[in-house]
Amino acid sequence: MLPCQAPVPDATLLDYWAGDLLDGDEMNRVEEHLFACGDCSARLDQMAALGAGLATLVRQGRMSGFVSRAILNRLQRDGVRVRMFWLAPGETVPCAVFPGDDVIVTALRADFSGVETVTLSVTGPDDSPFGRYDDVPVSGARGEVLWATPAALVQQLPSMRLELTLTSTGAAPTELGRYVLDHAASPPPG
Amino acid sequence: MQAMVDASDGDLARAVAARGPGLAEAAEAELYRRFAPRVRLYGLRHLRDEDDARDLVQQVMLLAIEKLRGGAIRDADQIASFVLGVSRTMAKDWKRREWRREKLRDAFLPASLVTAPARDASLDIDHLETCLARLADRERMVLLLTFYAEKTGSDVGKELRLTEGNVRVIRHRAIDRLRTCMTSREGGE
Repeated sequence: MLPCQAPVPDATLLDYWAGDLLDGDEMNRVEEHLFACGDCSARLDQMAALGAGLATLVRQGRMSGFVSRAILNRLQRDGVRVRMFWLAPGETVPCAVFPGDDVIVTALRADFSGVETVTLSVTGPDDSPFGRYDDVPVSGARGEVLWATPAALVQQLPSMRLELTLTSTGAAPTELGRYVLDHAASPPPG
Repeated sequence: MQAMVDASDGDLARAVAARGPGLAEAAEAELYRRFAPRVRLYGLRHLRDEDDARDLVQQVMLLAIEKLRGGAIRDADQIASFVLGVSRTMAKDWKRREWRREKLRDAFLPASLVTAPARDASLDIDHLETCLARLADRERMVLLLTFYAEKTGSDVGKELRLTEGNVRVIRHRAIDRLRTCMTSREGGE
């Protein structure tokens, strides 16, 4: 087999995979090339395998971080058991993990007008730092921040109050809301 | 056998068509080795399902080899285009049938009962989890929206308040970082 004479750039392969090659001629050219070129098809295969691996992790509830409504909808469609806690600014919400939960999603509401990214600071008892997340994208048309944590991880936490503070990111950061999660530890198994 | 590995696609197609004793079988095996992964990838891209993609490989390759054996492919050098053409036709039929099946399925069964488990046997999934956690939140969200929620760049942009161009740049950078992390020792530590 001859080595590839005109490799398709990674970015184009990704565009092809994601359905972003809107020009039919370009799509045909990429497909013709992929069928004739082992090197480029192997490179795309490697990227697709990573993508499939990500999807597997998510379906197993093994992902920490922020998600959007589309990801949440897909999780529910895939049968992943998601427990959600909705919080408005100033609210205290009791929370716990129940048997069978896969993922816990904390949904934070606020006035996100003109805000693209936020910082989420989380403190535990006695103001001890629990976590800080910078440059978190606000998602959806109305704006929301959806924080996902594997249920297996939350299950290990003792009973505690967690205070969450959302601040807009930018030159003049503004506090958007404070929230309290009143977490009750799961009873020991058996 | 090495001669087969070094042969061009066209040479292999000609060897199959000529049906020379011993040669044709080796040429068929080499053609299958080369084209099956490409057809599978095409199937995954268009059908978005591993099992369907594997079935597509069997059907496309069976037809391609049969046509070669029967001398129905006039220009052997165009074998790649022929296999792509068959893949397109079969995938289109597949989607039409799947659309009908989905309509019936949605009417009678909950999604949790019909979702096939994913298979990534060759990938170190624990290492991937570590690498995924190391990405910036925005990068991770773009990758999850692309590869899990199967959203286009335009849809991801709407979801995350980004331009489509921005999404493409972030997506490219993120997959690159993920790939580097997966191939580096440090990624697992």
